[in-house]
Amino acid sequence: MNLSRHDPETEMDMNMTPMIDVVFLLIIFFMIITDLTQKELEELVLPVAAFAVPDKPDPDKWRPILNIQYDGKIIIMRILLYDPEVDDNRAKPYERVLEWLAQAAKRMEKAPIDDNDPSSMKIPDEALLIRADQSTPFKHIQKVMEMCGKTGIQIWKIQLAVSVPEGDKDKE
Amino acid sequence: MSRLKEIQDEKQEMPMTPMIDVTFLLLIFFMCTLKFKTLEGKLAAYLPKDVGVNLMDAEPIEKVEILVRVRKEGTKLKPVSRTETVVYGPQHTGRYLWDDDRVLEYQIGPYKTRDLEKLRERLSIIYRERMAANEEKVPATIDARPGTCNKDVVDVLDQAIDAGFTDITFVGAWPDNIK
Repeated sequence: MNLSRHDPETEMDMNMTPMIDVVFLLIIFFMIITDLTQKELEELVLPVAAFAVPDKPDPDKWRPILNIQYDGKIIIMRILLYDPEVDDNRAKPYERVLEWLAQAAKRMEKAPIDDNDPSSMKIPDEALLIRADQSTPFKHIQKVMEMCGKTGIQIWKIQLAVSVPEGDKDKE
Repeated sequence: MSRLKEIQDEKQEMPMTPMIDVTFLLLIFFMCTLKFKTLEGKLAAYLPKDVGVNLMDAEPIEKVEILVRVRKEGTKLKPVSRTETVVYGPQHTGRYLWDDDRVLEYQIGPYKTRDLEKLRERLSIIYRERMAANEEKVPATIDARPGTCNKDVVDVLDQAIDAGFTDITFVGAWPDNIK
């Protein structure tokens, strides 16, 4: 057999297997990454605050997040729970938000209302994260805060989501 | 015999090309939809603990009340790109920003200012005075009047946190006609 002879008719097949392996790995990687991006976080322009605490959530721990758009729409877990244009015409405009808040309050850890008296009434002791657009009228946020104080909910810790100024990102 | 050999020799190859095409499409799709999570921060604040139940006595500590009012609404700008903006018409729909002509007024007790820097100075003076008077903690409340937006309040909250305040609460909503 003469190996040195080059025959132009012979098909030079590229070995595809390693390439397909790599491509599949990449696909799996990107699929997992996209799943990790939290769906509770709506796309908003957050206000900038210089003295904010960086938010590093524990991915395994549940936490209540409430998004408020610039026009006052309240979105939780990608579901529109309150639209000022539609719901304000109803008898109970904030019904669904209240329901959600009550459920969230139920899931939260509880602590006595009076620090010095362990037998006093227990109220939720976890924070509600309010993510509102920077141009959201504050009255919409105040409305949510008012609802937090209602009997049966009584969430008293809140956090306002902000973005960290551009220059400070390098320090992290 | 020769027939069997022929069958065995014949390579049963799967057509790979369509699979690779699809795979690449999927890869490109996932790469395009990928959005890296941006780092967010948070500002902690508290709501009055006793709303609706009133189990506790009135708080004896005097709160520092920061009032935020809108004196001039300012022009609404529509962000076009990262750096460019256009002025919004009266029938605006969509996300907007405020131009520099927006005027806000901050008030603590009788002291009034329109400058965020001066508010910060004032807040740190008050905080230091109260701490020097051996008070355990100095609570503050933010009273945002109608017309204020989230950014205005977060600015004040940010300054108050910088001045040293840790116990900050919010006042409930006012009717729209109160300025």
